[in-house]
Amino acid sequence: MSWADAVLFAARGLLRRRGRAVLTLVAVALAAALLTALLMITETGRSRVLDQLSRGGPLAGVRVDAAVDDGVLRRVRALPDVAAVVPIATTRLLVATDGVVVADVDEGGDGAGAAPAVRPGADVEGIVGVDIAQADNLPITVLAGRLPEPGTTTEVAVDQRWLERRGVAQGEEAGVVGTEVVLGAVREGAGGRRDSLAARWTRALVVGAVAQEAAAGGVLAPLPVVLDARAWAAGGAGPAGEDPLTGGGGEGGPYEGLFVVAQGLNQVDEARQQLSALGLPNEAPENLIASVLRYLHVVELVLASIGVIALVIAALGIANALLAAVRERRREIGVLKAIGARDRDVRRVFLFEAVALGLGGGLAGTVLGWAIARGVGAVVNDYLSAQGLAGVTVALPPAVLGGGILGSAVLALLAGTVPAVRAARLPARDAMGEG
Amino acid sequence: MSSPSSSGGDGAGAGVEVRELSHRYERPEGRLTVLDGVGFSIPPGGHVALTGASGAGKSTLLSILGGLEPPQSGHVHVGGHDLDGLDGDELASYRRRTVGFVFQHFGLLETLTASENVEVALTLAGTRARARRARAAELLAAVGLADRAGHRPGALSGGERQRVAIARALANRSRLVLADEPTGNLDERAATRVLDLLEQLPAERGCTLVVVTHDRSVAERAPARLHLDEGRLSGP
Repeated sequence: MSWADAVLFAARGLLRRRGRAVLTLVAVALAAALLTALLMITETGRSRVLDQLSRGGPLAGVRVDAAVDDGVLRRVRALPDVAAVVPIATTRLLVATDGVVVADVDEGGDGAGAAPAVRPGADVEGIVGVDIAQADNLPITVLAGRLPEPGTTTEVAVDQRWLERRGVAQGEEAGVVGTEVVLGAVREGAGGRRDSLAARWTRALVVGAVAQEAAAGGVLAPLPVVLDARAWAAGGAGPAGEDPLTGGGGEGGPYEGLFVVAQGLNQVDEARQQLSALGLPNEAPENLIASVLRYLHVVELVLASIGVIALVIAALGIANALLAAVRERRREIGVLKAIGARDRDVRRVFLFEAVALGLGGGLAGTVLGWAIARGVGAVVNDYLSAQGLAGVTVALPPAVLGGGILGSAVLALLAGTVPAVRAARLPARDAMGEG
Repeated sequence: MSSPSSSGGDGAGAGVEVRELSHRYERPEGRLTVLDGVGFSIPPGGHVALTGASGAGKSTLLSILGGLEPPQSGHVHVGGHDLDGLDGDELASYRRRTVGFVFQHFGLLETLTASENVEVALTLAGTRARARRARAAELLAAVGLADRAGHRPGALSGGERQRVAIARALANRSRLVLADEPTGNLDERAATRVLDLLEQLPAERGCTLVVVTHDRSVAERAPARLHLDEGRLSGP
């Protein structure tokens, strides 16, 4: 008997007792749904917790707080356990939010000293410059709007410090998107006078609000914005390369730090040792993350065990249904053998019946579990939204999808083994019936 | 039965030779001897009625001749096969290629149509789908059921079911047809038609036919009869 014929026979066998088959299928589906929903919810919670711990950045991130030049940057990139390196440059600029562009560039000459005159509505603000194209490798979470386009010098995002200082409540971050700011780089000693200050003003559009832990600052900008501002400021007559607002930034290299991503959580220690060997002080939250991961793993195991137990109970249901079928179809099996079926033909038919129940139940259950998890996610998101917190995204990981369906099929196959073997061993003489 | 000349290929009947065949069953109450030194022979294309009271060993003898169970002792030779030397798969192959069964209970699969029931035997023999359908249609036409091919057994009368069973028994061009009380569940008219069909098999298809029956009138239609009495042959 070919495999296709065996499948056909199995289907006929199941259809013969539709009610029993449907009930068995429902049992498997409910168990698979429970397993899928539990795993999806666990995975979502896990992602959420880790996201909070890593502040949206990669779990294997290492922060380097030291001035770095391009040579050191290249050496860090070449380290064996490093997957990515994002240089971070910071500076302080005057930031005006009143929309008034200050046209004159010479603010000095009044003998007020080195401190720049600040126009009403302008604050000194820390600016964090990063390679926006590598934002995925940084602890940056977009709260509203979007990130600036990589390479642009006219778009910025503001972060939680900016929002807090201006009293923007959680959930209202979108209100700042689309506003305009004016960034002022200040040069000391314009025109050869050490007691004068000059400012270069640049208009920029706030395209997003973010939560970021890449570096301290209130504005997140593409790297060229910071490097250009610093270069312009350094063109003055102050101490070499010194930024008049920060009093530093000119020595040791163009970057104030790095955000290094190790190859994985298990490589964080090695990556840190390699950075230390280069003389770069560094820190990483991996110990906390690793501990939390262990606890989350325990929770996952417990919940998955509940689902698996349900699935095993359903598998026992399959075994029971098939054993009943073997008893009922004793003569039919004998007839099949009488007309030439081999033991393995009979065994194959019953195994296919078991797999069909497992596969069908697993498929239906996974879809049902997905729907349940999405429903739970919607309720949770309503609650989080009411609390002013970001929502969660309930996703169906491929491993859960495949595991739910294939796991059900494999368990069903195992459950069907005993009935299938028992059916195969029935004597052909049973075809004759009693007497 | 209409002549199946178009079907062709139905081979010569299988000669049957049984010597010193004994068979016992272990029961909680002790060993039960159901066949005790049975010996007989049937020429190829022969037609034999096997009679005897209930428990005389008729069904056991039929089971052994049909390869449903191996002989415990003695020698059984059917159409070139020594059944006492065959293992499980070889017996299945023997049943598939050489033997066709007709049961008192018809033995049709309830979820399949008449045509599909005939095709099952061909499926097990590895015949391709198109050839299966053609062969089933030919055989159902031969037993007068061409218009009932798409009906499931539940929609057929007893006589029609048994004719489907006969068609199935012939599907693989069986050389030995074993019928176990083929008219036991049929009314007289249906029984007569089924017996007419069966009795044409040796002549038209060259099959050897063994009919187990306790009905004297059925037995008397056979040119040769064997009578089992407590596991021993007592008839001609």
